Amino acid sequence: MNWVSLHHRIERNAGLLIFGILLVSSIGGMVQLLPIVTGDSHAHPAPGLRPPTALELEGRDLYIRESCGVCHTQQIRPLLAEVKRYGPYSRSGEFAWDRPFLWGSKRTGPDLARIGGRYTDEWHRLHLLDPRSVVPASIMPAYPWLAEHRADRHGTIQARMRTLARLGHPYTDEQIAAAPGALDGRTELDAVIAYLQSLGGSMKGAPQP
Amino acid sequence: MADLPSQFWGGWIVAITVTTFVALAWFVIDVYRGKGGGDNEDMVWDENLREGAKPAPVWWFWFILALMVVSVVYVMLYPGLGTYRGALEWSQGGHIEQRFADYAQEFGEARARILSASTAALAEDEAAMRSAWRVFNNHCASCHGRDAAGQARRFPDLTDAAWQWGVDEAALDTTIRHGRIGVMPPWLAAVGEEGVAQLADYVIALSRGGGGDPAVAPGAALFQQFCVACHGADGSGNRQLGAPALNDTGWTYGGSRADVTATIAQGRNGQMPAFGGRLDDAQIRLLVAWLQAGAKIP
Repeated sequence: MNWVSLHHRIERNAGLLIFGILLVSSIGGMVQLLPIVTGDSHAHPAPGLRPPTALELEGRDLYIRESCGVCHTQQIRPLLAEVKRYGPYSRSGEFAWDRPFLWGSKRTGPDLARIGGRYTDEWHRLHLLDPRSVVPASIMPAYPWLAEHRADRHGTIQARMRTLARLGHPYTDEQIAAAPGALDGRTELDAVIAYLQSLGGSMKGAPQP
Repeated sequence: MADLPSQFWGGWIVAITVTTFVALAWFVIDVYRGKGGGDNEDMVWDENLREGAKPAPVWWFWFILALMVVSVVYVMLYPGLGTYRGALEWSQGGHIEQRFADYAQEFGEARARILSASTAALAEDEAAMRSAWRVFNNHCASCHGRDAAGQARRFPDLTDAAWQWGVDEAALDTTIRHGRIGVMPPWLAAVGEEGVAQLADYVIALSRGGGGDPAVAPGAALFQQFCVACHGADGSGNRQLGAPALNDTGWTYGGSRADVTATIAQGRNGQMPAFGGRLDDAQIRLLVAWLQAGAKIP
């Protein structure tokens, strides 16, 4: 085949060039992404997994606001040392209600995928307000303002839940209606702690590995 | 494995991968071995810049050919082509299961030795105590402190002689494995502010051996009325309920007058999380032995 004349033709025809680029760059996606996106293994929640409650959802959004994911991951890789330290490795079904995913990619602090139940609420309270009070060598910043602000200051919890419901979270109208009441009188600190305590709970008691 | 693609998508992956591979191989080989290359006399830019399609140096051809051979061998050995599992039958799940089996074999004997030894014998074993301290550091130190002396006037000192829930093997094992919840109810509503102050005076005196002092008699009377059910008539506590002894000098939540007053007025909720799902039997036994021996840093 005469590649020079093919080259010539493609370079002089912008439409053909665009089509060629799209075709070549889509091959990887067609092989690696399409079968997974259309498959359903990721869409089945792990047994015992439930969507976050209103308070946990608020805590999750605060986790994003405070950029916790910059230093903490939420994915335990299938490696012996990680399973020994953090618990059973993460399964795809555990992320069914993660929109967006908070897997993270950098562990300055420890992985938090199974932090739920590891410490008491009281410990989290002390630790978030002043990490050095319980872990003297910690380099984590303190987050004292969490205790000063009430949860859902801007009153958007119902809108956020409705958006997630549209994306597939099984929130009922009753749950959405009850959301502001569930956050009433709670601080941002309460919300973050509730979220942290909910992490990894669905795998409690799962056999290792 | 639920995550392998279905039949249709398996075929889809194989078809696209093989077609792409064959097309690329044909292109590379044709450029070098066929008549595909050469100059293009039509494309001349800025008078004398010609655009050609000459192949890259020949070492590059052999390099790309070697990479193609490696790719073919790889998809034959490992999973990659749709539902084909590869000749080595490798899987990530199988890989970690094997690592765990190796791990269990490597340390199985040491574990069996720990589980069959008495805690007193383990306490004499220096290597075992170093292991115990490492387990403590990984799992317990963020609350109880690296020296096990308690922290933040919340998390109990494990180096003293006071044990709210008992220090025998069964009690410690239960505490670590299943956790504990210790509840001190708030008494402000029941005894009033004056009553709280009197009780605080009495309890502080009691901890210093001065419970019989007439100056704290009003507090003593209130104590007999409200506190004895859990803390005992002599203030020696009740390990069934996790009620701490008050006739010693140890204070989990602080022994200053302000701390004691707050404890009585508002109550306390102490919680030890369950570690049964995070620690294995041998690790728990090591911790029990280490704690019984006084939680000393080896």
